[in-house]
Amino acid sequence: MKKIGIYPGCCFQGADIHNYDIIELFLEKMGVESVLLERSACCGGGVIDETNKMIVYGLNARNIALAEEKGVDLYTPCNTCYMVIAKTKLALDSDPELKEKINKILADEGLEYKGEAKIYHTLNLIRDFIGMDEYKSRIQRKLEGVKVAPYYGCHVLAPNEVSLDDPENPTVLREILEPLGVEIIEGYQNEYTCCGYHASYTNPNQKEKLAVKPLEGAKEAGADIVATPCPLCHKAMDGYEEPILQITQLINVACGSTPKEAFWNYNKTEVKISLG
Amino acid sequence: MEKIKYTAKIKRYNPETNESYWQDFDVEVEDSLTVLELLMYIKDKIDETLTFRAFCRSAICGSCAMIINGRAGLACKIQAKDKIKNGVIRIEPLNHLPVVKDLVVDQDPAFNKLKKIKPFLEPDPKKVPDNLKVESLVTPEEFAKYDKQTDCILCMACYGQCNALEGEEAYLGPFQLTKAFRFIMDSRDGMDVEERIKLVEDHGIWDCVQCQMCLAACPKGIKPAEDILDLRRVAKDVGEDNIATRRAKVWFANVFETGQIDKLHLPEVAYGDEKGEEITQQLEEEFRNRGVKEEEFSPQPFEGIKDFQKFIKKLEKEL
Repeated sequence: MKKIGIYPGCCFQGADIHNYDIIELFLEKMGVESVLLERSACCGGGVIDETNKMIVYGLNARNIALAEEKGVDLYTPCNTCYMVIAKTKLALDSDPELKEKINKILADEGLEYKGEAKIYHTLNLIRDFIGMDEYKSRIQRKLEGVKVAPYYGCHVLAPNEVSLDDPENPTVLREILEPLGVEIIEGYQNEYTCCGYHASYTNPNQKEKLAVKPLEGAKEAGADIVATPCPLCHKAMDGYEEPILQITQLINVACGSTPKEAFWNYNKTEVKISLG
Repeated sequence: MEKIKYTAKIKRYNPETNESYWQDFDVEVEDSLTVLELLMYIKDKIDETLTFRAFCRSAICGSCAMIINGRAGLACKIQAKDKIKNGVIRIEPLNHLPVVKDLVVDQDPAFNKLKKIKPFLEPDPKKVPDNLKVESLVTPEEFAKYDKQTDCILCMACYGQCNALEGEEAYLGPFQLTKAFRFIMDSRDGMDVEERIKLVEDHGIWDCVQCQMCLAACPKGIKPAEDILDLRRVAKDVGEDNIATRRAKVWFANVFETGQIDKLHLPEVAYGDEKGEEITQQLEEEFRNRGVKEEEFSPQPFEGIKDFQKFIKKLEKEL
């Protein structure tokens, strides 16, 4: 059985604690054994950079080292955690001096950043770690007739160095959704506009103005629902007219769970889909 | 040299009729063309009315930024054959700027925003001698702090790709803020940092949504979104006290304490007013409704937190 390390970011906290149950169930459905990366810490979320960028490198070198200590790769469903951790990996792998400095400090905790662990997000986890054939073989029922608008969010496509797919013509999300039997609605207005989550504190108006844009575009194009891999995009965009779910919530249902087991009922905007 | 066939799908605008439309140009051309050379070929051989701005053809003048397959970049720096997707290349003008004709945009609104940050050196008399015969010295270490940012060629690719401008038209923009950062870091600059920070506060550093698209757009590898985080740090360090700087402080303090942020109490502290308390109360309500156990409301320190704190302290000191 394949084994992966779950990196617990802030998307698994408090009222969002069910996000952890969602991915645990998802990994179980996929036949992947999971191990929680205990003692790991916040990736920085692009906010600790406002205090000290080097701390962000240190924190994430340590997060990756915790995965390496357990001999597993690191998995996070969050676009931002993925981007921030992948950026750190790039920085450390291309700067031996920085790596050595951080490793010296990590040694106090008996840890070492080797650079061996890969960084996975739900999209590349399915495509590269589980494999598309294996993934497809796990699907038990088709969500036929459901019109789904894929929404990537920003941090899996930018910056280019950490993009999980061709940033100009990404297809991985479509390839993951198609086997669920849904109808894919692409090319809608504001398909790639940011959800604004990270402006929630710095400028709440920005978040309000942006979050609704892709939803409106998807609705106009006839989508029943928007599907995103990212729990933060989900949080920012849930609560408007068009419903949004995380792809793992759709996958879990296609793999035999009830919508309630996949926490569809936790949505602010009700998900009205008839499952044949 | 091999010839290849494909379609250039170009967004056109005719100011005389105020018409905007997509036009397909089917071409059979050498596979070695840049996107700019492709446009020149179309203008030369197919439609002489096609209008675009270009000059140096060497990615240094910054004239030919446009959106190619949904991503901003310099037409002269990008190989056309790398951009053919399903037999098509999509080319359109930069976003967020008024289109003058076809692929040419009016750059003035973005330049006017640049002027707001005072994009020039105010010489510090202690560092810059008034005698022109004496050099104004900058050490390599000093220059390293803003070396990359001086590579900006004002092409506006980042501006044309910016998500924050999608939400807020008045937002200063990525390259403008990178420029502000560059002068704040310049050892010869005599303007007070507080004053420079004031210039980037109104629809500036707090409007950025950190989507990272400007990093993807910049043909010079500059990272405006990261410069903006640095500017926020500088703002915090010079005593700027607002919801964002308070958030940054409490975020770091939380992580230091437990390893994680405390999402429940973050609004309360960051807002620092009744509204924040209200949000925290609402969240608490939501927690209860979802059956979250009281002890899971806020993260608890993990085992070995003391070692983790030593680690952070060392990072702060040694890096």
